Amino acid sequence: MGFRLGLSAISIVLFINVSAFGQAVVEGRVELPKSHSAPVMAKRYEIVTSGGVLATQPPLAVVYLDGSFPKRTAPPTKQVAQKDLAFLPSLLPVQVGTRVEFTNCDDTYHSIFSYSPAKRFDLGRYRPDERPIPSEVFDAPGLVTLRCDIHEHMRGLILVLNTPYFVTTDTDGRFRLSGLPSGHYTLKAWIDSKTTRERPVELRSGATLHVDFP
Amino acid sequence: MFVVSALTILGFYLAQRNVAANVERDLQENFRAELSWLHKVQELRHAALEERCRALVANPRIHAALEDNALDLLYPSAKDELRDLMEGEEPSPEQARSLHARFYRFLDGAGAVLSPPNPKDVGKLSAEAEEQLAFKKLPEIEQIGYLSERADDARATVNEVMAVPIFSMETGGVISALVVGFQPFELAGKGAGVGVKSGIWLNGQLHLPSLPESAQAVLGGKIANAVANSDRAQGNFAVSVDDAPHLLFYKQLNPDSFFPPAYEICMYPLADSMARLHWLRWQIGGAGALLLFGGFVASHFVAARLSVPVEKLAVDSEKNRAQRKRAEAALASTSEDLKRSTRYSANASHYLKTPVTVLRAGLDSLLAREDFKPEVYEELSGLLHQTHRLTGVIDDLLLLSRLDAGHFQIRSEPVNLSQLVEEWLDDLNALADSVDVQIEKKLPAELYIAGEKQYTSLIVQSLLENARKYNRTGGRIRVAARQANNEVVLTIGNTGRPIARPAQEHIFERFHRGSTRSDVSGHGLGLNLARELARLHGGDLKLVCSQDDWTEFELRLRTSKPTASRADKLG
Repeated sequence: MGFRLGLSAISIVLFINVSAFGQAVVEGRVELPKSHSAPVMAKRYEIVTSGGVLATQPPLAVVYLDGSFPKRTAPPTKQVAQKDLAFLPSLLPVQVGTRVEFTNCDDTYHSIFSYSPAKRFDLGRYRPDERPIPSEVFDAPGLVTLRCDIHEHMRGLILVLNTPYFVTTDTDGRFRLSGLPSGHYTLKAWIDSKTTRERPVELRSGATLHVDFP
Repeated sequence: MFVVSALTILGFYLAQRNVAANVERDLQENFRAELSWLHKVQELRHAALEERCRALVANPRIHAALEDNALDLLYPSAKDELRDLMEGEEPSPEQARSLHARFYRFLDGAGAVLSPPNPKDVGKLSAEAEEQLAFKKLPEIEQIGYLSERADDARATVNEVMAVPIFSMETGGVISALVVGFQPFELAGKGAGVGVKSGIWLNGQLHLPSLPESAQAVLGGKIANAVANSDRAQGNFAVSVDDAPHLLFYKQLNPDSFFPPAYEICMYPLADSMARLHWLRWQIGGAGALLLFGGFVASHFVAARLSVPVEKLAVDSEKNRAQRKRAEAALASTSEDLKRSTRYSANASHYLKTPVTVLRAGLDSLLAREDFKPEVYEELSGLLHQTHRLTGVIDDLLLLSRLDAGHFQIRSEPVNLSQLVEEWLDDLNALADSVDVQIEKKLPAELYIAGEKQYTSLIVQSLLENARKYNRTGGRIRVAARQANNEVVLTIGNTGRPIARPAQEHIFERFHRGSTRSDVSGHGLGLNLARELARLHGGDLKLVCSQDDWTEFELRLRTSKPTASRADKLG
């Protein structure tokens, strides 16, 4: 028992150590596509397609640390709201196994479904007061296109990632990923459905690495 | 009448032809108008179908299936989403059924038909028919085509096919197409008229279910010819079907389509309209004949009415001619009588004059003897006087007979009437048996008239002698002359018992004497002769009045200017 406790204590200490000393930080900037004059639809739905490419408008990127990480038991539940006939946020990165709740904040029916290979689901029509809030667990990595059966132009993206280390840039493309484990990894920047840039990174604990994606 | 009839018939024939041409043109125009109305209905239907198909292909699940690489979900999704297209609310009214789909298919990005997992759900089609739905390249706009399909029974059916492109929401490009088959729009039975046959000509074959196959094949060939020889998308020509004349209209249903060209065929039976035309012809002909007959009768009637006065005129003129002939005969006989009497008068005068002359000569010789008693001389003198009177009468008769015979002519010359009257008045005063009468005269100095002095003198003598003879004792004679226009008017009036009114109108007749007084000498020829002579002078003599102790005559004679020689003589 004492051993166990001690082990636990060590492990906690270790963990804290790792956390305290082994934490690496990556920051930098992703060169985002020029924000072209947004069509009306883009403003409204925020996911635009251009030349078959899905991206957010204004452009955002998701920077994540690719690799194999011990799976967390229960990633926290995330929310994608449907507000003003748009998905909010329009681009949501989640770790595999995350449950996402689709809250209806409009005064109308919505019918969320996806035919994406990463996740096919169909929540059917529901009203704002539907309880429990319809949700779906995204258990395979990939890009999931969210659609509404009723409002055919609504689009939302859920980027299902294996890694727990990811962040969405600001509109300037700046990002900061902290608490990363040290080691040799690949840092990726998802810019749109067709564009993902990547950089190999050597993370050392306590160090802050600056990586720019041109 | 024949000319009128011929002209009328010609007129009616032309009118009839004109009407017939008009009727035919109207018929065609009506039919065209009707067709164009139906075409509008058809266009509306196409628009409705197109709208419906577009709405369908905008369906998010179909887009999701196509865009999100979930083709396996395409037909299952479509089965739900296009359920109403396939199933509809049957049984439905005709229009709803016309929008009801028989089948649908999706095409992949290359234009090939995506095979449905369960053909029953999307409408069965033979492999051959399915192939016809494929495109070499996906169209960017809706396409209308026609698909002939030979079903299990031998009868081929035609489907109207609409291909609607599906654009990717992501790439904006055409990623697929939805092809929906409908029952074609039926022109016939939609108010296009009785006996109208409609069908579709496709790939050289006519599909007109109401015609037997053999007739369809023949007609199909004709249409193929017409279509090949015309660069227009529509036209019409006359054909004979089942030995009945028809007007055939053709119109391309899907110009500029990716699908093979299909023509709408509409046949209008001319038998009915030709029968109507025939009937119209009969009507016009009948009306014409009736009118002609009516005109004939009316013209006869009018002619009869018109001819009555003409006939009457003819009869009258016949009568007139007879009358005239009678009158002419009478005139001829009168003239003959007159001639005879004139001749008689002349002869009589001649034969009378000779014995009177002999008588007078005998009496003269007896008076020349001196051995008679004085009362014998008185008797002889009286007898001699009677022979003189007799000679006067004979002379007058002779003159009158010459006048009557028309042989008498006067040699007109200027005669001084004033002088003549003065001479006779002098003679009158000198007469032995002159009664005591006062003579008033009012004569211009020189009054010349046109006449022959000898006979003018006779007139004046006769009038003055009468004025003296029929006067009373202590009475008067008034002689006045004046010139009026081209005439000289001489009035001679006298007192004395007037002429009895009933006798006044007879005084100018021969052997009439106004007075029965035995003491007045005369033989009743004087006034008659005087008037005849006055008229021969171109003048006249008439009684002005005879009443209240006054009788007045008026003599009118033509004036004349004294000739130079005459004037010299007078001067």
